[in-house]
Amino acid sequence: EIHEPEEVSVWFREGSSCCQETLARNQRFTETPVNMPGADKETDLSERIESFLSELKRCGSGAGSLRGSAETARETTALLRRITAQARWGNAGELMEIIRKEGRRMTAAQPSETTVGNMIRRVLKIIREEYARSRGSSEETDQQESLHKLLTSGGSSEDNFRQHFTHLKANVIEAINELLTELEGTTDNISMQALEHIHSNEVIMTIGRSRTVEAFLKDAARKRKFHVIVAECAPFCQGHEMATSLCKEDIETTVIPDAAIFAVMSRVNKVIIGTQTVLANGGLRAVNGTHTLALAAKHHSTPLIVCAPMFKLSPQFPNEEDTFHKFVSPHEVLPFTEGEILSKVNAHCPVFDYVPPELITLFISNIGGNAPSYIYRLMSELYHPEDHEL
Amino acid sequence: MAGKAGKQSRPRKAEKDEEEQPLQAVLVADSFNRRFFPISKDQPRALLPLANVSMIDYTLEFLTSTGVQETFVFCCWMSSKIKEHLQKSKWCRPTSPNVVHVITSDLYRSLGDVLRDVDAKALVRSDFLLVYGDVVSNIDVSQALQEHKQRRKMEKNVSVMTMIFKESPPGHKTRCEDDDIIVAMDGKSKRILHYQRAQALKKLHFPMNIFHSGSDEFEIRFDLLDCHISICSPQVAELFTDNFDYQTKNDFVRGLLVNEEILGNQIHMHVTKDGYGARVSNLLMYDTVSSDTIRRWIYPITPEANFADQEGQSCTHSRHNVYREPGVSLGHGSQMEENVLIGRNTVIGANCTISNTVIGANCVIGDNVTLDRAYIWNRVHIANDVKVKQSVICDNVEVKHGVVLNEQCVLAYNVVVGPDITLQEGTVLSMHHPDEEDDEDEDEFLSDDDVGYSKDKTKQKGSCSSYLIMCIDDDIMFPGLALNPDPESDSESEVSEGSHDLGSHPASPELDDVKVFQNEVHGTLQRGLDENISCDNLVLEINSLKYAYNISLKEVMQILIRVVLEFPFQQQGAQISTAQYSSHLLPVSLLKKWAPVFKNYVKRPQDQMDCLASMEEVFLERETHWAALVKVLMSVYQLEILEEEGIMRWFKQSSTTGKSQQLRRNQGLLKFIQWLEEAEESSEGDE
Repeated sequence: EIHEPEEVSVWFREGSSCCQETLARNQRFTETPVNMPGADKETDLSERIESFLSELKRCGSGAGSLRGSAETARETTALLRRITAQARWGNAGELMEIIRKEGRRMTAAQPSETTVGNMIRRVLKIIREEYARSRGSSEETDQQESLHKLLTSGGSSEDNFRQHFTHLKANVIEAINELLTELEGTTDNISMQALEHIHSNEVIMTIGRSRTVEAFLKDAARKRKFHVIVAECAPFCQGHEMATSLCKEDIETTVIPDAAIFAVMSRVNKVIIGTQTVLANGGLRAVNGTHTLALAAKHHSTPLIVCAPMFKLSPQFPNEEDTFHKFVSPHEVLPFTEGEILSKVNAHCPVFDYVPPELITLFISNIGGNAPSYIYRLMSELYHPEDHEL
Repeated sequence: MAGKAGKQSRPRKAEKDEEEQPLQAVLVADSFNRRFFPISKDQPRALLPLANVSMIDYTLEFLTSTGVQETFVFCCWMSSKIKEHLQKSKWCRPTSPNVVHVITSDLYRSLGDVLRDVDAKALVRSDFLLVYGDVVSNIDVSQALQEHKQRRKMEKNVSVMTMIFKESPPGHKTRCEDDDIIVAMDGKSKRILHYQRAQALKKLHFPMNIFHSGSDEFEIRFDLLDCHISICSPQVAELFTDNFDYQTKNDFVRGLLVNEEILGNQIHMHVTKDGYGARVSNLLMYDTVSSDTIRRWIYPITPEANFADQEGQSCTHSRHNVYREPGVSLGHGSQMEENVLIGRNTVIGANCTISNTVIGANCVIGDNVTLDRAYIWNRVHIANDVKVKQSVICDNVEVKHGVVLNEQCVLAYNVVVGPDITLQEGTVLSMHHPDEEDDEDEDEFLSDDDVGYSKDKTKQKGSCSSYLIMCIDDDIMFPGLALNPDPESDSESEVSEGSHDLGSHPASPELDDVKVFQNEVHGTLQRGLDENISCDNLVLEINSLKYAYNISLKEVMQILIRVVLEFPFQQQGAQISTAQYSSHLLPVSLLKKWAPVFKNYVKRPQDQMDCLASMEEVFLERETHWAALVKVLMSVYQLEILEEEGIMRWFKQSSTTGKSQQLRRNQGLLKFIQWLEEAEESSEGDE
């Protein structure tokens, strides 16, 4: 049983403001009797987890989510850091078990929010790496290189996580902090590449509202003049918000109904969209209407660029039917005030579309541009194969 | 600690709440009525499963998601069961952001008792939410709450309550006729001016003063569904204590509106278009709300969300809104068509057709079963070749081979039915003898929404070991399907306004007062007759009553006429014949005796017209006694209360309705008019 408040606080000093509070908390705990330091902390921790879970369950009553997935990713990571710092664990194996257990609950709370699961896998991968580093072997990193190792690594590596290292906790927290810093900068990193892709007097089409695409276009607009056509993305019409936001930056913007996508496509030089999730096969789970848009773009041979930060990369495949779709209240499709007709019809309001990888030209992530066929490689770099299934 | 965590989890609301108290809620986990009888005999309504989750869990989830941090659950009927359920649920875990306190007492008989107890125990510190334990909602009340607080800030303690309504037009399936309301509101300030339940009333009356409220925008709305969610200030509890006769929210709202000028309290409303909010107030609503849940209207509260966080209840959602919990087995050739929810470890046989149905956990369903709009709870056994349509089957029921349940049947707990029997529409089967309930609870549970149970109940020992309660009207089972108003449910005050036809009279300031005044006048005259009081004194008394109830002179006369003409009915009963009627009213006795009273009020020609108009009205209501009209007219003419010009003018008046035309064509009346005309001519001739 390890409890090292002083040592933890060292790392917190470098952290964000959120950690300052934890620091104060830790200092307070040092004054409490040593024999039961964890009890209070643990209830606090489980309260935080509960409230995060209920927040996840409730989020997204309308279009997609209330918060951006970037925020969800940051919150998840911050919570995982807190679990690492406050939960009781003796070795890497125990920590991974705790994180897996909580992770399963978090992903179950909102299956459509894959970012949560992705961040959990990232943290698990961090723990594996830190453990390997502490053991002094670099075996873990080149493990996937050989097919033989892939086949044999299964059972044996798990046993190895039982070894205890004093500095493991601090190292893991530091690595998670690095991950958080990376997350902070993702949108900036993507929008920095805007000038490489958007040229003067081009006509760009997008659909709905993606915070990443918004930043991307705004960044390009600082230097170049171009025209953006926004498909409104019924029934939630986030496209309207997008257009308003772009107009404020003096970008020439036109809103079109979704039905006009094909008609307008011939004039378009490039289609730039965001996505909810990048699937393991390089396909997308994106807002409704994206498939139509992608097909129209394919027909006119217009390049389709997807702006997606790395944390949206999910090891999920599109055939996992049960959690793939998300149906929200049919209110937007058929208003509740409609009256008698409601009892006679079934109205469905799905939120996501699947876009197959062959319709996508390029992914722009925070680490650069990639083709859909390269996604599998990024996936293997980000996540450990054993963590695909939490 | 819990409160703190709750606050931190909602950074958006944190700033607002910082200087304010945590939001509290009062949840009334008792319906105080028997609409779910006989199901509610075994299980309190709040614990009945709706889409396999207890109703109270929906309510608590709604409260928690709106940011309530402390909830007081008041239970009466089967309080121990509710308590046990809550203790096991996630709401009582130490990590719950919403701290739930259960308060039980057998003495609660109405909402009024609960709120008086809230006041006595001083439980609420600031504004609180008031809901019933059967409210299903996902409405975001934060905006309404903010508006409420703003109003309270601007005018200290004037607005005491904000009621939340959902827009839904008439004919909407989520509306049930029982709860239809008409609301008059000030369009700008959203203040409620008039609130009335509209159950099958054909005429509605609005007091005049609401039109003089000084606002230029004014709305009368019938497209609102009361979500039974209200934001109350602590004053509400105090007001219930002050007015011990308030039983229901309806009493409270009406009482407050009537006394608005005196007490200065106002009620406001908030109308929401998004979000879902409904109260499962009867089985028809149970059907509707269940199907809305399955059709995801209450998103994010959906079956697969497993918001109650119960082990093994996580279900999957697939196409056509088919939800399956783990361990479901479906036989060969069985189809789950659409909107189906099947609980864990339920086994379904071959070639079944299931649509719009909820099946609970651990049920066994045989082969060739057809289920449509069936609500089957836990551990139910259904044998082969059973057909169920729009019915509720409670826990542990056994339905044997070949049984057919038609629409709106209820099989209460532990019933065994069959084999090969067809239950008619609206059949209710229960293990409880229908009479045992009647003695026990009748008066206890009479309250706001009590649907009358004085229906014809024929009990038979069926072919099964349970009592059969046949419903002649399907009101009992699915109240609201039938439109005919219920004699007993009309126990409330609005009936006194609605059923007494004041017809063409201008709306008076206080409808209740008119009624009371009428009774008083009747009493005065009765006393005058019994004690032989002189007419001058009677006039004096009536005048003082007039001021006491603020009745206009014109109305006094109208009421006086009505009272006098109805006098024989009051004394002898409504069934007396015309001859008896006129003999009782006319010769010397009544009319003559009170002639001075009439003369005091009938002075101008216009008074005569009004007097005749109200006479006409009284007789229009009693078609059988038309023959007496002419005699009445004759005697008032002879007593010189009315003059012939007045009568002629009234007769020639173009009548509005067919019935009054018919009245004028009455044989006796025509003769009387003819006689009058002749008398006039002859008198002219004399001159």
